Amino acid sequence: MIGVSTGGPIALKRLFADLPPLNAAFVIVLHIPPGMDYRIARSLSAVTAMPVALAEDGGYLRRGHIYLAPGGFHLKLEGNSRIILEEGPRVNFVQPSADVAMKSLLKPLKRGRIIGVILTGMGKDGAEGIRHIKALGGMTIAQDQKSSAIYGMPKAASETGAVDFVFPLDKISRKLVELLSNCESTVPCND
Amino acid sequence: MDSRIMIVDDEEMIREAAEMLFQAEGIALITASSGKECLDYLESGFRGVILMDIMMPEMDGWDTIRQIVEKGLYEGNVIVMLTAMDAPDEKMEGLQEYVTDYITKPFYIQSLLDSIRYYLSLLQAEGDGA
Repeated sequence: MIGVSTGGPIALKRLFADLPPLNAAFVIVLHIPPGMDYRIARSLSAVTAMPVALAEDGGYLRRGHIYLAPGGFHLKLEGNSRIILEEGPRVNFVQPSADVAMKSLLKPLKRGRIIGVILTGMGKDGAEGIRHIKALGGMTIAQDQKSSAIYGMPKAASETGAVDFVFPLDKISRKLVELLSNCESTVPCND
Repeated sequence: MDSRIMIVDDEEMIREAAEMLFQAEGIALITASSGKECLDYLESGFRGVILMDIMMPEMDGWDTIRQIVEKGLYEGNVIVMLTAMDAPDEKMEGLQEYVTDYITKPFYIQSLLDSIRYYLSLLQAEGDGA
């Protein structure tokens, strides 16, 4: 699960351009308003071999697919696999919020694995989520200052002490490839 | 040429430098010297990539974005902060969703142009009606 804000569209484009199809479901929580979300999804589709879609309420995650949280809702996962879109107040001044999405995750079954990533962005959204993912036994990664357009969210995540790796963007791609070649999934899936 | 890029900056030198830079690339640019002028262009129908300064007298970049959103003028635009401020201040809180990128001066020209082309392509896709 990836939390990202300002500077995110280009960061995500670079990240996914470097990823081969992987045996994992990717959920992206990018701070965007409705009307911008599908454009970002389309631009990601153009650079990755994995199918990209806006997350739909009630849908199930599938491995090898990328899901972008739509603007105007909070995204949660039920049982780590079923997408729930909820209205409600902004959290950390934003909607969708990475904290809301990440904190909805449960401890995965033994073959599942969760990886939390925080990329460029202002504020501290995602920091609590990263702490939660770490507490569940997941792996956590934050973007480094130099490659971040705004070093706010990755800094806040790092300051929780719950981040395993602080990497520039290109190294995050390499790390994801390395991690996902040895595991079943970032989140357990039903398919 | 139908311009789809606007620079909003109170410093005339910056606006002129940007005009020259974009002209050399064959890209037309609209310049606005204040947040108010930016809003006027949007109300007249401008849609495209807005390069927004933060520190401006009267209405700063954040206030301008707030007005853009409140007046329902955001849709169809991409807003990129182009600023000398290393990191945004707390006035950005609540505006994250509307700020697509944050570029600090000085910047690499090629990198700025690449980013702008990408943001134009995001908006283009909508125009294609796909």
